[in-house]
Amino acid sequence: MAHQAHAYHMVDPSPWPLTGAIAALLMTSGLAVWFHFHSTTLMILGTILLLLTMFQWWRDVVREGTFQGHHTPPVQKGLRYGMILFITSEVFFFLGFFWAFYHSSLAPTPELGGCWPPTGITTLDPFEVPLLNTAVLLASGVTVTWAHHSIMEGERKQAIQSLTLTIALGFYFTFLQAMEYYEAPFTIADGVYGSTFFVATGFHGLHVIIGSMFLAVCLLRQIHFHFTSEHHFGFEAAAWYWHFVDVVWLFLYISIYWWGS
Amino acid sequence: RDTAVALVFYYFAVDCFFAQGLRPGVPAESPAMVFATPTKVVSEAGSTVEYLGTNRVPDLQRLFQTSDGVPIHLKRGVPDKLLYRTTMALTIGGALYCLVALYFAAQPNKK
Repeated sequence: MAHQAHAYHMVDPSPWPLTGAIAALLMTSGLAVWFHFHSTTLMILGTILLLLTMFQWWRDVVREGTFQGHHTPPVQKGLRYGMILFITSEVFFFLGFFWAFYHSSLAPTPELGGCWPPTGITTLDPFEVPLLNTAVLLASGVTVTWAHHSIMEGERKQAIQSLTLTIALGFYFTFLQAMEYYEAPFTIADGVYGSTFFVATGFHGLHVIIGSMFLAVCLLRQIHFHFTSEHHFGFEAAAWYWHFVDVVWLFLYISIYWWGS
Repeated sequence: RDTAVALVFYYFAVDCFFAQGLRPGVPAESPAMVFATPTKVVSEAGSTVEYLGTNRVPDLQRLFQTSDGVPIHLKRGVPDKLLYRTTMALTIGGALYCLVALYFAAQPNKK
């Protein structure tokens, strides 16, 4: 029995936009309260609310698509546009930090010694852990593509194994980068070199963690038979995001680690 | 001609419930019990052997497609309701706490 005479998705009323907006309010005011009054309660409350909102909102999207069949071809097209636009906005986000890096490094001021790297900064050897990190992310790009082909070919076990390997490589990158951060001979407070290095690589690391979480959700969904060989957009979105994270790292490696050393 | 147009819309709308193929109104059959099946080597069994659990998606599709007017965020019943109420309590409580905190933060600093 048809309920609608069109292929588009009319969503049920949902409380999550409101809870998400309030979470943003609490996180930002909480940040200000933390700075001025040394209390983290409001900020932590906001973060918990954000996590609850994300979990329930995306859970509902999975229910609407996989269990209710609302993700028809036109709807899926819209989701694709949405993900592409979001990744594009993230590209611009990183562009800002690369702009900051090149602004400071192409014309180093007298305060830095007129050179780049600035006087007194011992840079990391680009051919040690950073090169390993590059190999790890490139390999994870291969394994995520392997996972995609496995899903399309209906190879359940291979899809699960390759997706698990991708996530493992993501965690390995994060672990290696955390060790590098701990061992680095300079800090974020060490002039503009420290600022540009840690802000750019730090945001990148955050995106690796986000991408790994996205892939982990896809792994759970793959295990629970949510994906079909024809329809698995959630996975494709995660894979696009992962490739984006990989490409950002390549730019970081070439610009900051290699040219900037 | 009107009937033909209505039929076209009907089939198009039914197609809209594509997903994994469960159509509304069609009762699904529960799978036959498999306890009597003898143990097989994976290579012999082919793709039909279980790997990390059975497919419960058709059951969930049936559950979420019941026409009971319940919105998607509450459709699973009690666990959904609990999580929703907790989230909403934190939302409203948090918003009030935030307003109070901002009121006090806005007071001039008496030295």
